Amino acid sequence: MTEIRYLRAINMALADAMAEDDTVVVFGEDVSEAGGSFGASRGLRDRFGPDRIFDTPISEAAIAGAAVGVAMSGLRPVIEIMFMDFITLTMDALVNQAAKARFMFGGQGSVPMVLRTPHGAGLGAGPQHSQCLEAWLAHVPGLKVVCPSDPASAYGLLRAAIRDPDPVIMVENKALYGMKAEVADELPVLPIGKAAILRRGKEVTLVSYGASVHICSAAAAQLEADGISAEVIDLRSLQPWDEATVLESLSSTHRLVVVHEAVEAFGPGAEIAARMADVGFDELDGPIVRVGAPFMPVPFSKALEGRYLPDAAKVVAAVRRTLA
Amino acid sequence: MSDPSAILMPKLGLTMTEGVLASWLVKPGEQVREGQTIFVVETEKISTEVPANAAGVIVELLVGEGETVPVGATVARWTSAGAGLPPTTGRGAVPAATDTAQIPHSQSGAHAPSPAAGERVLATPLARRIARTHGVDLRTLTGTGPRGRIKAADVEATIVASAAKGPESLAQGDAGAAQSGRVGPGRSRPLSGFQKTMARRLTEAKQTIPHFYVLATADITDLLELRRRLNEDSAAPKVSVTHFILIAVGRALRDDPGFAAVWVDDGVLELGTTDVGLAVDTPRGLLAPVVRDVGSRSLNGLATEAESVIERARSGALLPDDFHGGAITVSNVGMHGAAFLVPIINPGQSAILGVGAASRVFRPDKQGAPRLREELGLVLSCDHRVTNGVSAARFLNRIVAALQNPLGLLRGSS
Repeated sequence: MTEIRYLRAINMALADAMAEDDTVVVFGEDVSEAGGSFGASRGLRDRFGPDRIFDTPISEAAIAGAAVGVAMSGLRPVIEIMFMDFITLTMDALVNQAAKARFMFGGQGSVPMVLRTPHGAGLGAGPQHSQCLEAWLAHVPGLKVVCPSDPASAYGLLRAAIRDPDPVIMVENKALYGMKAEVADELPVLPIGKAAILRRGKEVTLVSYGASVHICSAAAAQLEADGISAEVIDLRSLQPWDEATVLESLSSTHRLVVVHEAVEAFGPGAEIAARMADVGFDELDGPIVRVGAPFMPVPFSKALEGRYLPDAAKVVAAVRRTLA
Repeated sequence: MSDPSAILMPKLGLTMTEGVLASWLVKPGEQVREGQTIFVVETEKISTEVPANAAGVIVELLVGEGETVPVGATVARWTSAGAGLPPTTGRGAVPAATDTAQIPHSQSGAHAPSPAAGERVLATPLARRIARTHGVDLRTLTGTGPRGRIKAADVEATIVASAAKGPESLAQGDAGAAQSGRVGPGRSRPLSGFQKTMARRLTEAKQTIPHFYVLATADITDLLELRRRLNEDSAAPKVSVTHFILIAVGRALRDDPGFAAVWVDDGVLELGTTDVGLAVDTPRGLLAPVVRDVGSRSLNGLATEAESVIERARSGALLPDDFHGGAITVSNVGMHGAAFLVPIINPGQSAILGVGAASRVFRPDKQGAPRLREELGLVLSCDHRVTNGVSAARFLNRIVAALQNPLGLLRGSS
């Protein structure tokens, strides 16, 4: 066992993928000489050279467009979009090209690209550098979306994403970059679309992904002190998401709370709640409750941002509501 | 409301949730008169003949013989002036929840139970599902959730409470065989509705009743000799060891009326009767009909009554009332050779007496010389919410004393 940080796990996954497969290339803003805005690609230029990892102009549309073309020509590009907020500029390449190629070419082509991008607030970065926009991407047939919650899943999912024959967006909560955790010496590749049950419980199921998973674990610990047993599921993948695991858990707890940092309205929780209200209807013994950010831009002010973000107290309140 | 052309599976007891359509006594196209038996239902407890409540013509049979269907399911169609549900023969039948139970079979899909007075019943989907499978009418419940919403726990509490009110099928050691652990390969044995119900109720009994046990042996050498001589009179009813035990239990209840008590809804209910249940092995499984007023019967009277109950149990002629009441059951496996039986309390009761086989043992007499005696192994399982070790030991001693002085059992009951 060794202790590593989340960012280091991403760095290791990039290095291992590049070492394993010569077709893996990395490009984006400041990823090469500077080693990435957050340091995710530190040391890779020295190890693999400027042909495998290089810097681009500040043009997210160009980065994404190039990635689609490179991927269609036989390489496996991993690009970084420094903040998820700027995913807006990549949308045509992602939605109209990357997501559609396999379908439009009758399965004779694919776009094996990975787009890494950090989301999430809490750092006082303001309305344009804090958004959680993963629901947009999960809504598009042809795109896969993963969102790891810890170093081991960051490594395992990024390796799986790079090996995947189709476009995968890996969303990383920037508040997690400094997170440390004990991991196995040999980190496994994790399957996309498979959730992890982090804690077993009997009375309510808490479903989340990314940084919100830790909020759920904290809430579950608080609830346990009050004699309420909560099960915590880390989805890990949003598209496809592990409907079977959630349904199985709901079938034993009969109550569901979905938690994410993204705005609650039309967020990923809406999809999960709607599916469970359908396939899990007869299992429900209380309303499905969502905990997400309010319907407003992320505020700059630290004081307001603290109130804006979901926290354990909000999850506990939601659990009490469905248990009422 | 009921579809008038539907003949439904009736609800023959408070806790009946499904019934086996044992046999059809009519054919499609057949004309039936009011009161004519249409089909026979086998439940967890008994076989019941279901008659037509009006004259009519059977159109089609929808359920095959031997099939298990939930209460309220449509089993046949007919044309008749009568309403949909044929009356039931069982006294104490509860015609509740038939609309609800019918939902899974209706084309219109699931919906809330018909409102009582234009008011919608608020219930969670899980509560509705549990109510449906157990034949509980949601309109009779009060929900504890927001706005009076009925939750699963509310329905389950009702099911447990109604189970506590009426003891039915029986607790017995070997019923543990119904336990299904899915381990390893093997052939799964299909269970009848009766067996499934028994498995569920016994699991519930063993998990929810805090059992404790007091054990004793009774010297029945004199009793066996007395019995032999009584049975030499061919004109009198034959008496068995079981009859002696029943009457000993009945007299003990008469002398210690506080023992005839059961646990209900977080309290103890004193029954004030000397009714005693009797475990009967029947072709359909174990049944525990109740013999009434055992404490005030003579040995002959008890023998006649007990044999009548046993006969009705074996022929499937018991009625729901035969299972109600009584705080204790006697289960005698002595004829099958076990020395002791440690039984599970029959749900709804608070005690059960397990009777083993008589053993031939040498015991020292007053001079220390060996004497051949016959001793019976007795185990009294009790519900600790209702009684305690001291009371249980005292009660068991009354039984032992009565069996060891059998002439006393021949005395009048006053």
